[in-house]
Amino acid sequence: MVNDRGQLYTMEGVAAGVIMLLTAYIVVSTTSVYTAGDTHIPDMQLEQLGSDVLAMMDTPDRDGKESQLVGFVKMGTGGGNDLRDAFLNNSRMRAGDPDNDLHAQVFLSYRRSDGSVNTTELSPPSDPGFTGRENAVRVTRWVQLDGNPSGIPGLGYSPRPRAVLVEVLLWRA
Amino acid sequence: MAGMNEDGQWIVLMGLLAAVGLFFLALVINQSAIVGQTTAEGVIEFPKNDIRDLREAVFDYTDKFRTVPDSDETKKNVQKDIIAISLERKNAVVDFSVGGPQEISGRNLHPIEIRYNNGVTEYHETVYY
Repeated sequence: MVNDRGQLYTMEGVAAGVIMLLTAYIVVSTTSVYTAGDTHIPDMQLEQLGSDVLAMMDTPDRDGKESQLVGFVKMGTGGGNDLRDAFLNNSRMRAGDPDNDLHAQVFLSYRRSDGSVNTTELSPPSDPGFTGRENAVRVTRWVQLDGNPSGIPGLGYSPRPRAVLVEVLLWRA
Repeated sequence: MAGMNEDGQWIVLMGLLAAVGLFFLALVINQSAIVGQTTAEGVIEFPKNDIRDLREAVFDYTDKFRTVPDSDETKKNVQKDIIAISLERKNAVVDFSVGGPQEISGRNLHPIEIRYNNGVTEYHETVYY
């Protein structure tokens, strides 16, 4: 005759195993939790990197000389992708990983004669992978010019000293 | 109830202790998920680079126009540029003014007043440049 006295022991054993596994999982995962704070850290670092690169490009080599960034902005859209390429090269200037995933898109904001502010792409053609939905950070830099940048639509004024804002979208893809 | 066996009491008590322990561990995990959220948001929200950049723009403006009278149309336009673009592209209300030179510690410096407000962060500075 078969009896089923062992069944209760088996169930108890299984339950104990589950409890032990659960406890081990909880204890281990308590020490390493991916928090909401961690997700922002790469964004923060990218923003700082971009900001530093723009600041560096806006620093003249010599006192009284024009900075690289001002030179690029003066060329306006005529410079093609020069500004973006220089920016990305500077961003990748570090040891180790060449960081080929880094992408950027450069825009220029300026005030028109009617007082409205317009934003235009400064380094056409745009990045082939750019959709506008990237998880990008935006870094900006004020640039002051003595005249009008070339190739910018709707500037309106006759050439005058003006302040324009260079905006760079920076993301990894 | 006489004659009842009480051997199971310890097991029940230990089970209760284990349950309470697990509850606390679960609480720790639950809370840890939001650790750093406010800090990170605060850091992202604070426009450190915007303010630094604005200061430099105002200093550039001062370098260029410090000898130009306030009524000059070009000078006004550059200031309007900075104010309008700040509002439009950075959602920040910005104003600044450059005063006449004053003698500070034997040097002629211009008092510059910079005001910045993006709704979350408010910044006001008077700097002698």
